[in-house]
Amino acid sequence: MVARVAGVFDEKLTEAIANSKVLVVGAGGIGCEILKNLVLTGFPNIEIIDLDTIDVSNLNRQFLFHKEHVGKSKAQVAKDSALSFNPNVNIVAHHDSVISNDYGVSYFKQFNIVMNALDNRVARNHVNRICLAANVPLIETGTAGYAGQIELIKKGLTQCYECQPKAPQKSFPGCTIRNTPSEPIHCIVWAKHLFNQLFGEEDPDQDVSPDTADPEAAGEAGASAMTSKETDAGNVERKSTRMWAAETDYDPQKLFSKLFGDDIRYLLSMENLWKKRRPPTPLTWDNLPGKDDTPTQHSGLPDQRVWSVYECAQVFATCCKSLQADLKGRPEGDHLVWDKDEKSAMDFVTACANIRAHIFNIQLKSRFEIKSMAGNIIPAIATANAIVAGIAVLRAQSILKGDIETCTSVYLRPKVNHRGQLFVPERTLTAPNPKCYVCAPKPEVALACNLKSLTLKDLNTALKEGLNMQAPDATVEGKGLVVLSSEPGETDHNNDKTLEEIGLNDGCALMVDDFLQNYEVRVRLQQEDEEKAWRLVTDVDEPMPAPKEQKPTNGANGNNEPKPGPSRPKDDDSDSDMEIIEEDDGVPTAKAPKRRRTEMTDEVVELC
Amino acid sequence: MVENNDMELSEAEAEQYDRQIRLWGLESQKRLRASKVLIIGLTGLGAEIAKNIILSGVKSVCLLDNEKLRETDLYSQFLSPPDKVGENRAEASLQRAKALNPMVEVTTETKSVDDLPDSFFTQFDIVCATGLKQEQLERINNACRDSNKKFLCGDVWGVFGYMFADLVDHEYSEEIVQHKAVKRGPDDTAKNPCEKVTINVKRRAIYVPLQNALSADWSKPELRSRLRRGDPSYFVMKILLRFRDENNRNPDPSKRKADTEILLRMRDEIVKELNLPNGFVSDALLTDVFGIVSGVAAVLGGVIAQEVVKAVSQREPPHNNMFFFNPIKCVGFVELYGQ
Repeated sequence: MVARVAGVFDEKLTEAIANSKVLVVGAGGIGCEILKNLVLTGFPNIEIIDLDTIDVSNLNRQFLFHKEHVGKSKAQVAKDSALSFNPNVNIVAHHDSVISNDYGVSYFKQFNIVMNALDNRVARNHVNRICLAANVPLIETGTAGYAGQIELIKKGLTQCYECQPKAPQKSFPGCTIRNTPSEPIHCIVWAKHLFNQLFGEEDPDQDVSPDTADPEAAGEAGASAMTSKETDAGNVERKSTRMWAAETDYDPQKLFSKLFGDDIRYLLSMENLWKKRRPPTPLTWDNLPGKDDTPTQHSGLPDQRVWSVYECAQVFATCCKSLQADLKGRPEGDHLVWDKDEKSAMDFVTACANIRAHIFNIQLKSRFEIKSMAGNIIPAIATANAIVAGIAVLRAQSILKGDIETCTSVYLRPKVNHRGQLFVPERTLTAPNPKCYVCAPKPEVALACNLKSLTLKDLNTALKEGLNMQAPDATVEGKGLVVLSSEPGETDHNNDKTLEEIGLNDGCALMVDDFLQNYEVRVRLQQEDEEKAWRLVTDVDEPMPAPKEQKPTNGANGNNEPKPGPSRPKDDDSDSDMEIIEEDDGVPTAKAPKRRRTEMTDEVVELC
Repeated sequence: MVENNDMELSEAEAEQYDRQIRLWGLESQKRLRASKVLIIGLTGLGAEIAKNIILSGVKSVCLLDNEKLRETDLYSQFLSPPDKVGENRAEASLQRAKALNPMVEVTTETKSVDDLPDSFFTQFDIVCATGLKQEQLERINNACRDSNKKFLCGDVWGVFGYMFADLVDHEYSEEIVQHKAVKRGPDDTAKNPCEKVTINVKRRAIYVPLQNALSADWSKPELRSRLRRGDPSYFVMKILLRFRDENNRNPDPSKRKADTEILLRMRDEIVKELNLPNGFVSDALLTDVFGIVSGVAAVLGGVIAQEVVKAVSQREPPHNNMFFFNPIKCVGFVELYGQ
C-alpha cells in the first residue's frame, strides 16, 4: 500500500510515505480531518489517541462521527470510519489520555512525525516535551472560530511550544468575586463557586460569602461590620456553606434569603466599599422583580431569552431541589462536578449569576451567553478545521520529503490581511529560545520565593503549575538528597516543612525531573523576603507564569470540565484547539516575527 | 438571494449547530437552512466542498456528476466507497453524503452539464463548479448571473488550487470591533480602560463574471505592477485550464513525463502571449499538478465552502474574486481580476 497512485508525488516522497509511521494526538475537529487526509494519501501506519467520547455538539464538524456514535470513543469511531475510506491502512486507536506512562519517550520514538490536534495547554506541553526528548518532529495545530495555525516543532531547529511565555490566564481578584462584582463574568464565576460550595467539591478558595479581609473595606466601617456580625450571623459565617445548606435541607427560600439578602446586607455594612460604587440591593423572596410580567414574544433560540429575576428565583428553587436529590443519591463523600451540558447545573449557574447581577445592577445575560462564558466554549467550524488539517498534512509530506527547513508556521486568518493573504506563512523557521526552560540544552530557571515560608507542598505545586510538570522528582544538586518524590508517600511526611527547615538556602539549586516527560530542569532558589508565594524567573527576565494562588474553577483548560472519576484534564476534543495568532506581516526582518498567542482558558481567581 | 425563513430552529438543530451558531449567529444559521446548493464534479474537491456544506446545515445539496468513479478518485474522494468504482460518481457518493447530516436533503443529478438547460442551474441559490472546461464554466456562470444567482468555481491539480467567485451584486453585513473607553469603577486598574464593542455594518460588493477575470489584460499598468509581487499562481491556473480545454482531461499521473512536457510548452506560450518575464512561472510549479492531493482538496474545499456559507448567510466579507493556494510558499491569497 504505497502512496496510492504512482505519479502524483515524486518517487522519493511516495517511498517516504510508504515507510512512514505517524501519530495523531486528538480525534476531534482537526484530528478527524488529519486522519482522513493521511488515510486517503496512503500513509500506511497511523496511531490515534483520544480519551474523549462523542457529543452531539461535535457533529457539525467532526465528520467521522454520526448521531448513532454519540457516547462512543472518538479514537475508535474515527478509526472505523477512516478505514472505510481505505481499508489497506493500518490504524491503531487508543481510547486513552496521552498523559500516561504507556505513551513515553520510547513509544513516541517509533513515529516519524507526531501531529497534535489538541484543545488544551496541559496536553500540548506534555506532548511537546516528549517529542523534544524523543527528537521526533511535532506538527502542532489549532483553530478558534475562523482562525487557525500550523506550527512545526523540532528539537534544535525551531522554537518549542514553551519557548515563548504564554499569556497568563485571565483571573479576577477574590474580593471582586465575593464583594464587588461589576461585570457579568464576575457573577458567573461566583455562581460556579456557589455550585461547588453547595454540591461540588468544597474548596476553601471558592468562598462565596462576603470577604471581610477585603483591604478596601478596612477602616472603621469594616471593623464595626465585623463586630456586629459576630453577634448575629457570626456562627453561620464560620460554618461551611455546605453544612449550613444541608441543615436547612437545601430549603430554596432560606438559601435565597441568606445568599441574596443577608449576605448582601452584610456587604452594605462594609461602607467603604460603596463610597465610589453603586451599592447593591438585597432581594427578598416575596418581592421579586418580574413576577407579574406578561410573557413577551421572543424570537431566537429559547436559550437566548433573558429570564426575569422572578424566573431566575423559580429556576434556582427547582435546581436546588434536583441537585440536592442528585447529591443524595451518591455514595457518602461523593460530590457533583459542574458540567455546562448538565441541565440543572447550567440552569443553576444561569439563575444565580443573573440574580446576583440584578442585585449589583449588572446586565443580565441569557442562558446561551452564560453557557459560553461559564463553559468557555470556543466556537468551531468544519471549514477552518479542514484547512488547518490539510496544511498540516502537507507539512508532514514536506518533512518526509526532507524539506523540513521549508516548514515555517502558517496562520489561517479570519479575514485577509492588507496583502490579501488568507493563509500567511512565516518567512523563516523561528529558532529555539536559548533561555527556554524546556528545550535549552541545559534548562534552567530560578524560583523566587521566601524559603522561610514556602513548604515542600508549595514547591510541588510550583513545579506542577509553574513548570507544567506531571510528576516531579527533586533532588538537591551536588548532594543527591531527595526533596520531592513522585512515588506516592515517599516524601509526604515533609510536606509541611519549609524549604529552610530542610536545609535549603538562597542560591541552592535543585535538579528536578519528570520521568513521564523525560524532562529535567535545574531550579535555582532565590530568597525573596517579600514574595508571598512563588515566582519563576528566567535569565532573560521574561515574565513567567504567575502562581495560581487558587485552583482554577471547573474546566481549567478550555471547556474541559473534569468528569467524575479520577480527575485529569481531558486532552482531546479539538472543539477548542487554541492558540491564535496575528502575524504582523510587514517588512521582512531577521528577528522573530511578531505574534500574539491567545488562549481561552477558564478564569483563575486570585486572592487580594 | 436566500430568503430568511422565519421558522425557529428545532432543539435538535440548536444542539447540533451550537458551536457554529456561537460564531456566526442564529440569523446566519436560518439563512443557511433556507439555501439550496448545487455542487458540480464529485472528485476529491467536490467531496470536500459537499462535506463542509452539508455539515453546515443548508436546506439541500445536489451532487451533479456524469462521470464514473475511478480508482484514482479514491485517494482524495472519501464520499465514495472503494467497491463502487465504475458507478456514477455522484450516486456513489450519495449514501455517505446523506449520513453526514440527516437534516440536509441530498440529491444527485447524473446528466452532463451540457445536457442540462440553464433553468436547471438557476433553481439553486448558489452553484459550485469543479472540473469543468472554461466554456462550460462561463456558460453556467452567465446563466446564474442573469438570474442573480451566485456562482463559485475552483479546481485542485496536484498540490495547486484556485477558486473564483461571482456573487453578482452582493449585500452583506460585517462585524466591526471598536474600542470604547469606559470606566468600570475603582477596581479598574487597566491603564486605558476600554470595552470592545462590536457593531454590524452593511456593505455591498460588486463582482464580475468569470470571462472577465480569465481575460484580464496584463498589458495594463495596474496588472503589470502586480507582477512585482512575484506570485505566478494566476498563470499556473491559466496553463492548467488550457491543458484541460485542449486535451479534454487533466494532467494524468500515469503520464507524468509526457504531460509535464505539454504543460511546459503551454507555459511558454502563455508567457509569450502575456509578455511575462522569463522564468516567472517556474518549472517547479508545474511538476506537482497531477491528480488531486488530499490535503490540498481539504484546503480548497474548506475555502470554497466557507465562501458558500458567507454568500448565503450574507455575513462577513466574501473573497472578491479569486483565491489561489501556492503550495511552494504555502500561501493562500485573494486577488481581484477583470474589473
